[in-house]
Amino acid sequence: MALQATALVLLVLPLAGAFALAVLALRVPRWAVWAIGPGVVWAAFVCTLILLADSFLQDRAHDFTYWTWIQSGTFDLPANLLVDRLSIFMCLVITGVGGLIITYAVGYMEHETDPSYARFFCYMDLFVFSMLLLVLAGNFVFLIMGWALVGLSSYLLIGFYYWRYSAVVAARKAFVMNVIGDIGMILAAFAIFVNYHSLTFSGVFAALPRADATWVEIIGFLLLVGAVAKSAQLPLHTWLPDAMEGPTPVSALIHAATMVTAGVYLIGRMHPIYDVAVWAQGTAALIGAVTALMAASIAVVQTDIKRVLAYSTMSQIGYMFLAVGVGAYAAGFFHLLGHAFFKALLFLAAGNVIHALNGEQDMRRYGGLWRQMRWTSVCFLIGSLSLTGIFPLVGFWSKEVVLGDVFSKPGTTYFPQALWAIGFATAILTGFYTGRMWWMSFAGRPSADRPVEHPHEASRVMLVPVAVLTVLTAVGGFIQINAGFHPGYKLVEDFLAPTLGHLPWHARDLEYIPTAATLLLGGVAFLAAYRFYVSFVWRPWSGAVPRLQRLLEHKYYFDEAYDQMFVRPMDAIASGADRTMEEPVLEGAPAGVAVATQAGAGALSLTQTGYFRTYILVFLAGVVVAAVVLLLVRAF
Amino acid sequence: MPDYGQIPVGSGTLDARLILGLAAVLFILGAVGVLVRRNPLVILVCIELMLNAANLTLITFAAQLHNLEGQLFALMTMTVAAAEAVVGLAILVDIFRVRDVDDVDQLSDLKG
Repeated sequence: MALQATALVLLVLPLAGAFALAVLALRVPRWAVWAIGPGVVWAAFVCTLILLADSFLQDRAHDFTYWTWIQSGTFDLPANLLVDRLSIFMCLVITGVGGLIITYAVGYMEHETDPSYARFFCYMDLFVFSMLLLVLAGNFVFLIMGWALVGLSSYLLIGFYYWRYSAVVAARKAFVMNVIGDIGMILAAFAIFVNYHSLTFSGVFAALPRADATWVEIIGFLLLVGAVAKSAQLPLHTWLPDAMEGPTPVSALIHAATMVTAGVYLIGRMHPIYDVAVWAQGTAALIGAVTALMAASIAVVQTDIKRVLAYSTMSQIGYMFLAVGVGAYAAGFFHLLGHAFFKALLFLAAGNVIHALNGEQDMRRYGGLWRQMRWTSVCFLIGSLSLTGIFPLVGFWSKEVVLGDVFSKPGTTYFPQALWAIGFATAILTGFYTGRMWWMSFAGRPSADRPVEHPHEASRVMLVPVAVLTVLTAVGGFIQINAGFHPGYKLVEDFLAPTLGHLPWHARDLEYIPTAATLLLGGVAFLAAYRFYVSFVWRPWSGAVPRLQRLLEHKYYFDEAYDQMFVRPMDAIASGADRTMEEPVLEGAPAGVAVATQAGAGALSLTQTGYFRTYILVFLAGVVVAAVVLLLVRAF
Repeated sequence: MPDYGQIPVGSGTLDARLILGLAAVLFILGAVGVLVRRNPLVILVCIELMLNAANLTLITFAAQLHNLEGQLFALMTMTVAAAEAVVGLAILVDIFRVRDVDDVDQLSDLKG
């Protein structure tokens, strides 16, 4: 009972915080905003810890039903929250990493005006609530509500600087892309309801063993549409880089650590469906691998530090999709956790730099920050090395588990091994673009056109969350060290096993060879970037392949293609409809009615002579006519 | 089979057609009067004439059909006629207060 209340409090606290900030924002001083904004998230973190403790002690999942929400004939929809190992795991990431990031924002957003400042924390709390609803949902209706609400809060936060045109456009783009995913989710829910007559997870999963395989595949693909849109995977990925228009803490929390990993969570949560829907699952793995490679290659040519990180996020989520797509669920979630640590760290450290350089985001205008921002540089370096996958940081353990599990998956085809090869190539590219980002920004000489000559290190409220994330990045990986080693130990997998099950296959004896190769080549690529971008010993690679460079700089022409395929035709249809429908018909109809009424009234008013006798005559004539008609009817 | 053509009047009977014809004549007199007369007071009188013609037919039919509803309805009509006369006269008095009208055609301010 107490636990049931805890789960509800965990969910409602951030919503209450958002509501309080929305109502009180302009009446309370800043310190109250600090107390409410991050405060409710930390309180939610404490609630999560209580649930975690219970989960360790009791080792059972809870499906808390609070009341019956919809009752219609034989259909019954309870308002229920599912508190099991997987949702607790996600809540830990959301409230823990989220708390750190929102605390960081207290410093990062300090230059905003008071209304904007409160608005920011209001949106952030709303986001945390939506995300918690998404992961705690025990039925598809709550899941879709959370799914749509995170899209809404993402939209609000990308468009936070609403006076900037580019921010508004980016927010709209993200929203439209996400709605495509929402439609997939809703169609999936319809298909599920039609087939299983239930919308609770437990009801649906119980009905699966006697389900029609074709329908399960269809549902799997529809859910995948939602997952792909939310997680910025091919082909619905174009919104994520543009989403960097939002403030940096937003990018760290929503567009790196939590919301974009919702697709991974969805596939993990729906694993009973995906275990049956092999085609949908294979597609998820393929999309993940291809997105990982493609995003990493684009990151090589980006010059905006946040965009590099955005493409890197897409790439790393590709790894997670790859993992859950081959059935290595725990590996996917371990990488989700590790990625939340080091990517939040990278974004926040980049935020320190951006904050110190008056909002400059172009890496070509950085250079030499190592000497002036030592703390941030060290943290950023640890994050970069973790992203590259250097031993013994968390990125090494989590990425190698993903790649190792994919490599070792047995089967009749070499499909997983082909995907592993893509992932392997991605890892090398990751090392290269991460090295490029690190060396360009922090090494070498200060760029000549740097906006601030002597940048100052960030304030303490910003450095402490970064430092905490640095520690987590450095030692967080030791909770599961089975990459390349056999057997090692694997706390994440064991923790999630009651929900996701254990990995159904064992590591191959050879697994340490690809693991070592990934580590080695990634590290070499990281170092090689120094020779390209700082010492200029090697001439730029783009000189040899200008076409490739152009292709990458245009991000494989996805935006252009979508512009041609969807935006332009829609514009043409809209303007055509404006000319042929809107103006003549929709606007013409009311105007026409008005004109006709006026003219008709003018004509009819001629009968109003004002003479009493005329009226009487008409009246009597009417009576006579009526009498004659009645008589005639009677007669015949 | 009673003869509906004859209605009892006092100790004898009377042909119903005579009474109905009288009512028709009265009604037409009233209607024509409303149409052609100009003095508003006379028009009101003519309206009363038409109402009474209608009353006459009502009680004639009531007697013919041995049905009291017609008589009752005649009483109703008288009440309405009284009310109508009150309202009509009140309107006329009000109009006479502001201007001297001897022809209803002068009251054509609502011409469209």
